[in-house]
Amino acid sequence: MTWTAVARKDFQDAIRSRWVAALSVLFVLLVSAAAYLVRPAPGQTISSNQILNSLFVRDALVTTLVPLIALIVAYNAVVGERESGSLKLLLSLPHSRADVVFGKVLGRAGAIAAPIAVGFLLPALIFLVVPAVNFDVLSYLGYTLLTAVLAVCFVSIAVGFSTAASSSRRAIAGAVGIYFLFVPLWGAVRFPLQFYLGMGGGPSWLPLSGQQVLRMLTLINPTGSFKTVSNAFMQGALYTQGDVNMQVSATLMLLVWILVPPLLGLLWFQEADL
Amino acid sequence: MAAIELDGVTKRFGDVTAVSDLDLTVPEGEVFGFLGPNGAGKSTTINMLLDFVRPTAGDVRVLGLDAGGESVAVRRRTGVLPEGYDVYHRLTGRKHIEFAMRSKEVDGDPDAVLERVGIADAADRKAGGYSKGMRQRLVLGMALVGDPDLLILDEPSSGLDPGGAREMRDIVREEAEGGTTVFFSSHVLGQVEAVCDRVGILREGELVAEDSIEGLRDAVEGGETLVITVDAASEDDLDAVRALSGVSNATTDGGTVTVTCDADTKTAVIGALEDAGIAVKDFQTEETSLEDLFLAYTEGEMSA
Repeated sequence: MTWTAVARKDFQDAIRSRWVAALSVLFVLLVSAAAYLVRPAPGQTISSNQILNSLFVRDALVTTLVPLIALIVAYNAVVGERESGSLKLLLSLPHSRADVVFGKVLGRAGAIAAPIAVGFLLPALIFLVVPAVNFDVLSYLGYTLLTAVLAVCFVSIAVGFSTAASSSRRAIAGAVGIYFLFVPLWGAVRFPLQFYLGMGGGPSWLPLSGQQVLRMLTLINPTGSFKTVSNAFMQGALYTQGDVNMQVSATLMLLVWILVPPLLGLLWFQEADL
Repeated sequence: MAAIELDGVTKRFGDVTAVSDLDLTVPEGEVFGFLGPNGAGKSTTINMLLDFVRPTAGDVRVLGLDAGGESVAVRRRTGVLPEGYDVYHRLTGRKHIEFAMRSKEVDGDPDAVLERVGIADAADRKAGGYSKGMRQRLVLGMALVGDPDLLILDEPSSGLDPGGAREMRDIVREEAEGGTTVFFSSHVLGQVEAVCDRVGILREGELVAEDSIEGLRDAVEGGETLVITVDAASEDDLDAVRALSGVSNATTDGGTVTVTCDADTKTAVIGALEDAGIAVKDFQTEETSLEDLFLAYTEGEMSA
C-alpha cells in the first residue's frame, strides 16, 4: 500500500499551487469580515460561536463557498495527470490504481484543509486577545474540523468524477452539476418542499410520511448532513440530545460521501486503458 | 527464466490493430533493443508490459509475473522511462527522486541519483523549468531508484543531445553489467547497435525481424549498395532491376539510382538498366550498413 506516498506527493504539489495561497487569504478575509459584521456594541461581549453561526460564516462561507472551492481544487486530480501524461510517471512506480485514487483523495483533502485551517485559526488569534469575544476553543476547533470534513466530501465527489472522466472538461461538468444540485437548487426548493411535505403532501405510493422524505433529502445532501451534525455540535448536543438518530445518520452519510464516489470512479478506472 | 514473455499478444483500439499476434521472449540479463518506425506499436507493447493498457488477446508475463494481475509487483522490480510522460512542474528534481524512493519503499540518497544522471546542479530547481533532456535524465533517475531487475526505456534518447545519448548508453551498459535486463525502444538503429545483445524490429504491429546484432551483420555481409549516375530514370524503369534475384531494394531520384544487392549481381543491375534504355554515366559501390538494412525492414521492402 503506497497510497500515502501518492498523497504526500500530491499534497506537496497542490500546496505549491497559487490557488491554495489565494484561498487561505480569502478564507482569512471572509472569517474576519464575518466577525466584523457581527461585532458587539461597545461594552458588550459576543461568543465565538455567534460568529460561526452567523449567516456569513455558516451559510455563505461554509455551506456555499467551501463545497465549490473543494470541487475546484480536486476536479483535475486524476484526469489532469492523465491529460498531461504525468499519470504514466505515477503509474510506472509501484502504485495500484486504488493507491492513486485514494492517495489523491487524501492529498487534495490536505490541500483544502490547509486553507480552511489557516482561514479559521488565524482570525482566532485575534478573537483570543480581544476582550469583547468570549472564545470557546472546543467549539471553534470542532467547527473548523467539521468544515474540513464537509470540504473532504466534495473533494471525494470531485476525485470520483476526475477518476471516471475521460477529459477534464467532463470532470468539471460533473462536479459543477453536483454543486448546482446540492447547493443552489436545494436551497431554492427546500422551503417550498418543507412546507408542502410538512402539510402532509408527498407521493402517497411511498410508505413514508412527508417528514420522512424531507429528512431523507436533507441527509442525502452533504451540506444538509453537515448542518445536522454541526448544529447539534454547536448546541453541545451531538449524539446526546435531540434527534440522535438523525445525527448518527448524518455522520454516516458524510462518511459515505467520502468513500463511495472515489470507489465508483475506481471501478471504471480499473478497466481503463491509459 | 524469461524477463519478458509475450505470447500471441494482440491489442486493438476500436478497429485499429496496434499490435498483432506478437510473440517475443527476452531472457534475463539481456539488453534488448526494440526497434521500429514511429507508430509501429512499440509504445503499445511497452504499455502492456506495465498494465497501462490491457491486451485484447494473448498472455503477457514480466519477471515471471502476470503483467495485468500482478502489475504492482512487476513495477516494484522494474524501472521505467515511459513515453509521452510529464513531470510535476511545481516539484523540484530532488522531490521527484524522493517520491520514487517512497513509492518503491527504499532508502537512499536522492542527490547521488541526480549526480549519476548528470543533473545534480538542478536538484533544487522546479522540474517545470527543466529542458526535455533534463526531464529525460530526471525520469531515468527515478527509474534507477531501488536497483531494478528490469529497465524498460521507451525512446530514452529522445530530447538528448549526442553527449546525453552517449551518457544514457553508458548507464544502460553499467546496469546491464550489474545483471539488469534492459528492454528499450528506439526508432533509430544507431542508438541501440552499440549496446544491444539482440534486437527485434516491429513494423505495423508485427515483429519482422528478431536477431542479434551479429546475426543482422551476417545478413548484410557481402551486400553492397550501388550508386549509379544516369541521364534520367523513373521509378517504373527500375522494375526490371527489382525483379533480379539478389536485389533487395532499388530507388531513384531521377539522376541517380541506388540499389541494394549482393556483390555478384552488380553487372546484371547495370545490364538491366541499359536494357531499359537508360544511359549509365558512372557508378560506385558502398558496403551496406546496418542502417540500410534497418530501413529496408521498416520501410517494408524486406520481411523475415
